[in-house]
Amino acid sequence: MKNKIFLAMLASISVFAVGCGSSNTTKELAAPSTEVSKDIPGWTVNNDPTDLSWYVNFSWFTTPWGNDIVSQKITEETGVNVNFIIPAGNEAEKLNTMIASDTLPDLLTLGWWEGQIPEMIDAGMIYALDELAELYDPYFFEVADEARLGWYTSQDGHVYQYPNSSYSPEDYEKYDNIASNQTFLVRKDMYEALGSPDMSTPEGFIDTLRKAKEMFPTVNNQPLIPLGLHEFNDAGNVSLDLFLQNFLAIPFEDEDGNLYDRMTDPEYVAWLKMFREATAEGLLANDVFIDARSQMEEKQAQGRYFAMLYQRTDMATQQQILFNNDPDSIYVAIDGPKNSSGDDHTLPGVGIQGWTVTLISKNCDDPERAIQFMSYFMSEHGQRMIKVGVEGEMYEMVNGQPVLHKEVQELLDSDRAAYDRKYGAEDTFWMMQDLPMQQQWTEASKEPFLQLEEWAAQYTIFNSQYDGLNPALGSAEEVIALKVSTLWGNTLPALLLAKDEAEFDAIFEKYVNDRDALGYDKLLAVQQELLEENKEKLGFK
Amino acid sequence: MSTVSKPAPKASFGERLKKQKYLQMMVWPGIIWMFIFNYIPMSGIIIAFKDYKITGTMWGAPWAGLSHFKEFLTDPSFMNIMQNTLGISLLKLCIAFPLPILFALLVNEVRSARYKKSIQTISYLPHFISWVVLGGLLITWLSDTGMINEVLVMTGILKEPIAFLADPKYFWWVAVISDTWKELGWSAIIYIAAISGIDQQMYEAAAIDGATKMQKIWHITLPAIKGTIAVMFILAVAGMLNSNFDQIFILNNVLNAEASEVIDTYVYKMGMRSGRYSYATAIGLFKSVVAMILLVIANFITKKLQGRSLF
Repeated sequence: MKNKIFLAMLASISVFAVGCGSSNTTKELAAPSTEVSKDIPGWTVNNDPTDLSWYVNFSWFTTPWGNDIVSQKITEETGVNVNFIIPAGNEAEKLNTMIASDTLPDLLTLGWWEGQIPEMIDAGMIYALDELAELYDPYFFEVADEARLGWYTSQDGHVYQYPNSSYSPEDYEKYDNIASNQTFLVRKDMYEALGSPDMSTPEGFIDTLRKAKEMFPTVNNQPLIPLGLHEFNDAGNVSLDLFLQNFLAIPFEDEDGNLYDRMTDPEYVAWLKMFREATAEGLLANDVFIDARSQMEEKQAQGRYFAMLYQRTDMATQQQILFNNDPDSIYVAIDGPKNSSGDDHTLPGVGIQGWTVTLISKNCDDPERAIQFMSYFMSEHGQRMIKVGVEGEMYEMVNGQPVLHKEVQELLDSDRAAYDRKYGAEDTFWMMQDLPMQQQWTEASKEPFLQLEEWAAQYTIFNSQYDGLNPALGSAEEVIALKVSTLWGNTLPALLLAKDEAEFDAIFEKYVNDRDALGYDKLLAVQQELLEENKEKLGFK
Repeated sequence: MSTVSKPAPKASFGERLKKQKYLQMMVWPGIIWMFIFNYIPMSGIIIAFKDYKITGTMWGAPWAGLSHFKEFLTDPSFMNIMQNTLGISLLKLCIAFPLPILFALLVNEVRSARYKKSIQTISYLPHFISWVVLGGLLITWLSDTGMINEVLVMTGILKEPIAFLADPKYFWWVAVISDTWKELGWSAIIYIAAISGIDQQMYEAAAIDGATKMQKIWHITLPAIKGTIAVMFILAVAGMLNSNFDQIFILNNVLNAEASEVIDTYVYKMGMRSGRYSYATAIGLFKSVVAMILLVIANFITKKLQGRSLF
């Protein structure tokens, strides 16, 4: 009896279990519902009301669709109503769950670096955009950018993803106002009170932090935080590894075209030692190690940091608040850590990869409408819509330039969140923003942002070839890469918290040895190959 | 020939089932629930021995043997993780386990029924605050400008404020003390219930024999709830590798990571954040197997010592 029950249980387990898991049946694409031509945008003929679900892999994106004028207008023109799906907590958790349970929505937007993208493509969960476009909306090719399609063409010859905010090397030649996000910022009034000292050498840097702490121990009765950084995470701290190396102009490859080990560069290590000293002196406050982005934003808005190695667009809202309170308390960009020969910073701007990519999943029941919806965004009409909004309701054309209505401009300047919900232009829906195209309607930035932008623009370089050197998911090298980055994530705080320089040296040596033991050379070999591929795609060398 | 009547023939399975049908009706929903939510998901353990990818199925993944287990046991952070997990759990066993018993004994001695009820209610209230909320409070309280530091400095216990969560050497204590405080009243409930079941005549008899209060506790109350204590002890030992995930996850940060990385947070990091599901499952399975062994050992020892056991 017992045995029989057990067998029955086993049998039912396998039935249940086989039922789960993803099915990757190849769907036959239905014939287009209307006649297609490359001259007629699909959305103009095909705009019955329909719903598309759209997953955005960023938990901070909270603007709903359909409340503001712009999204209402887009729904009116294309017939598409969007249901955004936003992760409530950890993004990877949400995305992985959707992939594993085969519940991906119609459209997906995620950072181009995410490892799940090639995995989903390999598993046949994503439509090839070029196939959809050929069948349903040849107009797509009219509005798509050649360089971007070229970069995102997979080895099988298909394009599965289309980027936003993408700049090609040609764009870098065409526009001189492309500005990196990475900035070194100081609070204007304090910095000036200190006599605008030089902070580009380790000695000058730590000395200025000391003096700042001495002169301004508190801000609004709360202790001053001498230096602010991005959040610490499993992989380290982007301010203190990637950004700092960029500021020090440490090269990515040596003269022979081999990848250079930026982590062990003596200039970089020397600066890290200075940061250790700063930590020991309490100049790197506990807050810096503990705070998550939301806490930092609060402190930025109160102006509690003296200096920051931070992305300027990540503190734009807080900068505006400071500016409204007291224009002298804003943050200004100055020259930060430089190498011993005083070379210019090499700060990468957004490259050909752009920022996020958008894909259409095979779970989408109506890929025809999805691809037409994408073309809509990519077209000049769509870009103008998400950038400046609806003519007549939000702006008027004056001498060929859009001029915002007064109340629109006022809300934009004072309360961005409210503006997003009421008007929804200025790239509120950034998922398909084409920044080079939007240049024509973009007014020059105003203070308090102009100075940051102009400062960054002079040091900005094109660096795309070194981005995304990630081994294929599931490969042995991918596990190595993960372990190496976790190792660094554990090492960096230990380095900063080391009691003295001898301990620092010991920890650093252990890091290098452990890294080698993990198989770093294998990872490097794969990355070198990927670099060659990238260069070829971009037509370098 | 004995005249004792033969025992009734054993009823067939069907008959017995029919006879107990109302009892059966009550137990089946529970069994079905357990089967669906506990046993079926267990089949997923299989991926601990495979290289599972989220885009494929669990059954189609290639076999990996014991490689994930080997990897975990040779992981450079393995020792640190085990040390933290066991360290926090042992501290909890030493502090958080006996305190509720003591508390139950104290509450039991309170004369006024109303006063007793209020103490009980107040003491188990923190149990109902989620760790997410409480963790946020604790982070503020324990920071160097927080309430606890202010009190300690004002009363002269500390000269300088200490950022408790920013130093690994305090983390175990923060974890253990905050957990004990939160769960004290709640854990005491089971002992209070056991105590209230003790026959009052024994106390009266002891009083007539001139027993003091302490003697009554030592010779009547404690022996009477010995069984309950044994069972709770076995369960506590079996849960040694379980740390309170919510609590640790919320209280940990880069500065105290050295003392706060435990098996549960490591599994979360590997599985959910890095997407290495097979590896994370293997660690989880390893943990369950160790917990099982601990359970059997604790059970065996209590059985030998006390003649009481779970199974």
